[in-house]
Amino acid sequence: MASTFPFSAIVGQEDMILAIQIVAVDPSVGGVLVLGDRGTGKSTAVRGLADLLPPLKVVAGCPYGCDPAKTAGVCAQCSAASLGKPKVETRPVPVVDLPLGASEDRVVGALDLEKALSQGVKSFAPGLLAQANRGFLYIDEVNLLEDHLVDLLIDVAASGENLVEREGLSVRHPARFVLVGSGNPEEGELRPQLLDRFGLSVEVKTPQALDLRVEVVRRRDAFERDPQAFRQKWEAANEAQRKKIVAARKRLPNLDLDDEMLHLCAALCQRLGTDGLRAELTLMRSLRALAALNGKAKVTRQDLQRVAPLVLRHRLRRNPLDDTGSDARVQRALQEVVGS
Amino acid sequence: MNPTDRSESQAGSELGWALAALAVSPMALGGAWVRADHGPVRDQWLAFLKDKVTPCVRVPFNVDDERLLGGLDLTASLAHGTSVWHPGLLAQAEQGVVILPMAERLDASVLARILQAQERDTESLPARFGVVALDESLDDEKTLPSSFAERLGLWLDLRQLSPHDEIFTDFDAADIAHARTHWLQLTLSDEQWFAICQTAQALGVDSLRAPQMTARLARILAALQARSTVEDHDVVRAIQWVISPRATVLPQNPSQEAAPPEPAPPEPTPPDPQDAEQQDNNDSENTAPPTELPPLEDVVLAAAIAALPDKLLDRLTLNPQGLRGAGSQGARGVQRHSVHRGRPLPPRPGRPHQGARLHVLATLRSAIPRQKLRTPPKHGALLALRPDDFHCHHYAQQSATCLIFAVDASGSAAVQRLAEAKGAVELLLNQSYARRDWVCVLAFRAGQAQVLLPPTRSLVRAKRALSGLPAGGGTPLASGLKLALEVATQQARQGVTPLLVVLSDGRANVNLQGMGGREEAQKDAHALAQACAQQRLSSLWLDTSMQPDPLAKQWASLMQARYLPMPYAQSERMADAMRHVVSGMRS
Repeated sequence: MASTFPFSAIVGQEDMILAIQIVAVDPSVGGVLVLGDRGTGKSTAVRGLADLLPPLKVVAGCPYGCDPAKTAGVCAQCSAASLGKPKVETRPVPVVDLPLGASEDRVVGALDLEKALSQGVKSFAPGLLAQANRGFLYIDEVNLLEDHLVDLLIDVAASGENLVEREGLSVRHPARFVLVGSGNPEEGELRPQLLDRFGLSVEVKTPQALDLRVEVVRRRDAFERDPQAFRQKWEAANEAQRKKIVAARKRLPNLDLDDEMLHLCAALCQRLGTDGLRAELTLMRSLRALAALNGKAKVTRQDLQRVAPLVLRHRLRRNPLDDTGSDARVQRALQEVVGS
Repeated sequence: MNPTDRSESQAGSELGWALAALAVSPMALGGAWVRADHGPVRDQWLAFLKDKVTPCVRVPFNVDDERLLGGLDLTASLAHGTSVWHPGLLAQAEQGVVILPMAERLDASVLARILQAQERDTESLPARFGVVALDESLDDEKTLPSSFAERLGLWLDLRQLSPHDEIFTDFDAADIAHARTHWLQLTLSDEQWFAICQTAQALGVDSLRAPQMTARLARILAALQARSTVEDHDVVRAIQWVISPRATVLPQNPSQEAAPPEPAPPEPTPPDPQDAEQQDNNDSENTAPPTELPPLEDVVLAAAIAALPDKLLDRLTLNPQGLRGAGSQGARGVQRHSVHRGRPLPPRPGRPHQGARLHVLATLRSAIPRQKLRTPPKHGALLALRPDDFHCHHYAQQSATCLIFAVDASGSAAVQRLAEAKGAVELLLNQSYARRDWVCVLAFRAGQAQVLLPPTRSLVRAKRALSGLPAGGGTPLASGLKLALEVATQQARQGVTPLLVVLSDGRANVNLQGMGGREEAQKDAHALAQACAQQRLSSLWLDTSMQPDPLAKQWASLMQARYLPMPYAQSERMADAMRHVVSGMRS
């Protein structure tokens, strides 16, 4: 995977970069939904994600990439073998593409036909959800995903576990992943249930400034001309990003929100009338992640103003026909609750 | 040689250029979107392509995943007792092109796989294949999904060419081989980069893939001519091929657009002899000081405008989203019986193909009773399986529904009732959102019928299309019904169940040709209403006249539609009534 476009070389798109960094620091924030035009570097940013993250330690040979340090929430083989010391190997963080037309078998996994026919063994061939465990699952054009796959994802994303009961198989394996979706809202709506599974949502637009556009295109061109050299040039910046994320992860457990901040979050969500408490939880987690990212010991009001639109934008109870910007509503509520 | 001859042969040479460029690096350009009818022109083009690019792999539209991406060869595996893998078509296309005939009918899942394979490879250069999508769709039909078309560099339209145009190029294999090794080393000047990006911006091409492809193409063109620098005319040509066909807005007057801020004259001066002379020279309108040559952006913009597709304005006014497309790939070819998804049905005998999965239990069940009759397998397997034992999974799937609203916006119906009808449609849209139906809105007024919104799931767009609907003029009921019937047939062809909702008072007074005259109009409408009934199109007629009108009721019974008179209904009540009827029709 040495030749993806380096993450740090992405021009502009601050919201998207920030959202991706936040989930990289704390995956429990939930996924990122990127809405916007085509050719704005959505997939480039997602594929560059692996740059940001230190490689994972996994149990050697485990198809689900279980964490050797854990005994709970691992797959059946690993929990059976967990008494002994498992062999450990490192793998890059998986970033798995879920194509639009994927079949259910491919996604959840199915009976391994090859083994069944040639050796007469009943065994499970893991699918994309297994591959994506502890990593990222990327769905381009998520709003065009067929309903039966959406149902499946909604369930797995909530439970963190993939349950397969078909073809005489009964398999249960961990599938904890960060959902990253992108799409163009003009082409179709997302089900509210799926929207809710995304922690953050950002809107991307093609930069309108000519200089920026030229810069984007030229960097891309330089990358294509000589990917190795281009990556080397940006390796230092990538390394710095990586360190920042690792440092933020270390800092994260010691960060807490004070009561005043929690009240502000709750007041904000209340004013906007978001359903359930997931909005508050996500807001809290992403505030902590942002403060950790910035190397601060305390969450400030500025942090709230920065993060609130990303967290709340897609959670407003809305009329599907009402196209007044949800951003404006979030900003107004911010003004009223937090003040300027 | 008369002028048309010359321009046609010029088109042939342009295509020759495009083909040579494609041959240099199909992967760098992503491929080509070729709109052409089946015929000698396309055959000539394809023959030319096959001559220049190898390998060319043709992928039929009903390809299954296994053939496309490679997989287990079941029959061979059984025969040999070990797993035999075969490479997919995409792997065979390495360094060449994949040709997709009837690309507009291609299943979304196939397109998704091809895109994914291509995308993965452009991320890690060198990419491995380009895609040539042959599109035979007619003007009013669905074309390629825009996410797919966007990734194809060259958009070529061969429909204008006559069979006498010869496609030719002066570049031979050696030139192409030279370009292949050299184009990556060429660079563009700062000015050229700016010109490309600025043109794209002025023409409303938002995706940054287009400028990238343009830059690649410009370099390839320069390398083809064995030059070591990229000249401005390479850039202009590349822009004409890549950016112009993608234009979504007509640029503002280029003179205003590109005029440098300081030396710009206060207002355009009336043309004087000097200006006219200059226009002759560089074929571009500009009001820059006559002593200077026009800046490059000006020339580039003028050239791009000249290559804009016809009817762009029409399409833009008709559909504010312009060329972005309807994005209808989500519900491609939904069948009632599916081998992929849905509620499981009993397994059926048959080989796994078209993505169907082998049902292992049923296969074994069919094999076991016959074991005594069969010679025991040689390679130590326990069962003698034969290909006839294979059973596959089958599923039943609900097909999608598309609600087609035909709204009468004529003077007679409109003034009092149009707002109310719009409100009703909006409320119904709200409900169709909950059911994930597709919606399509068309309106008829003043001599013609228009599709305001092609089938979509985006309700924001549906609402926008409705709110901008003007009213007035005659009632071309026949045209409205005709269009509705066309849309419905198209939808049915794609496996979507159409439901027609007509909102009108039925006072037809414009015939199919757009001429006034009650009698003719009634006759045409009569024929079309009967056609709707013959096609068994489920429909609903909402009478929008002030009093329940026997005329509208008569139309409804002709169409075998349900009839709902709605005098002075609140739109809430109207929608309620519609909901009952629609759910009745669906069950």
